[in-house]
Amino acid sequence: MPPTDTSPDDRPAPVPPALEVVSLEKAYGAVKAVQGLTFQVAPGEVLGLVGPNGAGKTSTLRCLAGILPVSSGRVVVGGHDVAVEPVKAKRALAFLPDEPRLFEYLTVWEHLNFVARLYGVEGWEDKARALLSEMELVGKEKALPGELSRGMKQKLSIACGFLHEPRLILLDEPLTGLDPLGIRRMKASLRKRAEQGAALVLSSHLLPLVEELCHRILVITGGRAVALGSLAEIRAQLSGAEAGSASLEELFIRITRSGGEERPEPPAV
Amino acid sequence: MSFPRAVAFLWWASLRNRVRRQLQRLRQPKYLVGLVVGGAYLYAIVLRRLSFQRATEELPPGARMVAELSLGGMLMLSLVSAWALGQDRPALTFSETEVQQLFAAPISRRGLLHYKLARGLFGAAVAAFFTTIFIGRVVSPHPVLFFLGATVALGTVNLHVTAASFVRTRLARLGWPGVALRWGVLLGLFAAFGLAVYVSILAHPLPEDTGQRGALEAWFSGLLEQPALRVALWPGRALVALPMAGGAGDFLQALPLALGLFVAHYVWVAALIVPFEEAVVVRAEQVARKRGQRVARVGHIVMRKPFFRLGSLGRPEVALMWKNLIAARRLGGTEIILILGLLGLAAPVGAAFFAPEAVPIVRQTMAGIFLALAAMFTVFGPVSLRSDLRMDLPKLDMLRAMPLTGRQVVAAEVLALGLLLGILEAGLLVLAIGLVAGAPGRWGIELWVAGGLGVLPVLPALSVGGVLVQNAAVVLFPAWLPANGERARGIEAMGQRLLTLAGALVVLMGGLIPAAIVAGLVGFALYGLLGLWALPFAGLTAAAGLAFEVALGLVALGRAFDRMDVSSEGPGAA
Repeated sequence: MPPTDTSPDDRPAPVPPALEVVSLEKAYGAVKAVQGLTFQVAPGEVLGLVGPNGAGKTSTLRCLAGILPVSSGRVVVGGHDVAVEPVKAKRALAFLPDEPRLFEYLTVWEHLNFVARLYGVEGWEDKARALLSEMELVGKEKALPGELSRGMKQKLSIACGFLHEPRLILLDEPLTGLDPLGIRRMKASLRKRAEQGAALVLSSHLLPLVEELCHRILVITGGRAVALGSLAEIRAQLSGAEAGSASLEELFIRITRSGGEERPEPPAV
Repeated sequence: MSFPRAVAFLWWASLRNRVRRQLQRLRQPKYLVGLVVGGAYLYAIVLRRLSFQRATEELPPGARMVAELSLGGMLMLSLVSAWALGQDRPALTFSETEVQQLFAAPISRRGLLHYKLARGLFGAAVAAFFTTIFIGRVVSPHPVLFFLGATVALGTVNLHVTAASFVRTRLARLGWPGVALRWGVLLGLFAAFGLAVYVSILAHPLPEDTGQRGALEAWFSGLLEQPALRVALWPGRALVALPMAGGAGDFLQALPLALGLFVAHYVWVAALIVPFEEAVVVRAEQVARKRGQRVARVGHIVMRKPFFRLGSLGRPEVALMWKNLIAARRLGGTEIILILGLLGLAAPVGAAFFAPEAVPIVRQTMAGIFLALAAMFTVFGPVSLRSDLRMDLPKLDMLRAMPLTGRQVVAAEVLALGLLLGILEAGLLVLAIGLVAGAPGRWGIELWVAGGLGVLPVLPALSVGGVLVQNAAVVLFPAWLPANGERARGIEAMGQRLLTLAGALVVLMGGLIPAAIVAGLVGFALYGLLGLWALPFAGLTAAAGLAFEVALGLVALGRAFDRMDVSSEGPGAA
């Protein structure tokens, strides 16, 4: 059963959030890319981040990962403020960008070795083998990134991200470049991490994927949150006769086209 | 809109937007300062060269003939290489963007060819411009005529290269008979050229008394006028006749032949056009792949084992050092020290076999060479080896996502390369001292060893300092560095590079002076007590001073790295 159909009571019991974002703002000079974002993600929860191009999704993810300093507001990962305790916060998270960033001169296995040392992963070799098997990269251990296809690079990037068993996984278009079988496996893999207690923030333009995987959805446009909640909650918040049966795609179009006129109530945390 | 008009629009809009963007960038002081410095450099180096008249008047007699022959020879070499080198496929290069945008558009093959030929002519004009600035000053008193003539000549060579590639493609389709035909004709032409030279020398032999002033020049001039050699050199002479014209009259006289050759080549290319799309796509992919490697700041990768095994527990920044050492090993060819070491040993061993009396001088010479190499690694190593933050520049966001403090990142990036350079330099010094140990020469073994031990800690410390300065530029002024692996273009970018280089030198010298003063004081104080053996203590003091400065620098840079906003300052930032 898709998670979007679950009622709020079926969701994981309230526990300290894996991610807490308070009044997040990010500006590039005079341009405000992100404005006043406030939300939480609980362990085991999958939050979908959707919005039109240029809405501020990638800026938001990069702020959450500690790559970009926030202009104002607070980001707390696993109880650690990213601005105050960046190293502890980063130890608890993994950021998987849409374009896999790999070192061209390290082999597949050396990438995993490198990440294991960075995060101090004990018994990393067994975990690495399991991940390579899960990502269908067995036999590619000695390959350089230049010898891998786009999809394989993406899988290696994901394997590196999963190796230290992060409590928060930030994914920016994670299925780019994967074949249909790879997409199916990746979805199962993400579900498995959520079931094991990791919180996931998934940014994607593939709305059926978001609808299928995510417990809650955060819609942002112009850097502002315009909807936050489960699909059912967003439907309920939207006025209009058709809202009751609308798909995420239809809701997305209505929310982002309305320019704020037909928005649901201000997003709840 | 017709294709020619679309192309004209594309070129005009690209040029206009580029200039507009460069002008907009000048609002930022760093680009404005870069423009001022780059402009001053250009004026000093290039524009002052445009005083053609004076330069040509100073040209010694006969030099013009040599210049004419050299230019003609170079053009003829281009023609020959078009037939003898490279692959049997159309020599047309399109970018991946051009392939995507133009090949799918309703444009005929001939239209695409004309597009490429027009670009080739534009490229010839640009090349002619720079040739005029750098060579034309020496060989011609008429810069405008030289530029126009060089444009026609280089354009003709460009057309010839394209035509040759079309002919080779057609011959290759015939299989081995085609290849045999091409090489048969080429070898026949080579033989004819050799015969022409031989016959001309027979007819016009070298005078017995060549020591007389101008005798050799007169003989060479006469040789070139021999009928056989005149025929053999005609293509080169015909090409350079226009740019080398002595005046407007000469230019107009040479113009019909030059333009005739140009038009004949165009007709040749247009008549022999072959399907080039497949070759162009392959070539575009190759160019894109090379560009990708440039973007990633990596060159050719040779698989070699890591220097050491990386455990999963321990200080995390060691992972970064491990990674960078692997990069240096696989990209940089650090085996050079091994080769140098073998050479250092082989030379005295060889001398011992064949000339035993020369062994001491050979050992001293090799020691001197190793010392010079160690000094070269110290000065140029930090600039030329780049397996540090400069290499990781396109991945700054990835570094920022790692669970490391800025100080850990900067220290690991700097120390990996510094350590490698230090080991190389120490190895070279030890080799040098070892070589002179048995043959110290007039300096004496004590000076060699004491001096060597004095320098031993200083060179690695200097290298680490040099690497730190290079990395400081990445952290403090990332936007000054070329974005996305591309060479930044424009006068302001050139000025920025000059400023960066000068700044690095000033900072390095500034750091060296305090350490040198303290080391000098220590050395002076201990000299009375220890004599030459004060040198190692002075060296240690200097190295300690430098190490202290490097440590302070690492802390400061680490803080700057933590505060750095990769979105607004990093490469690729708008």
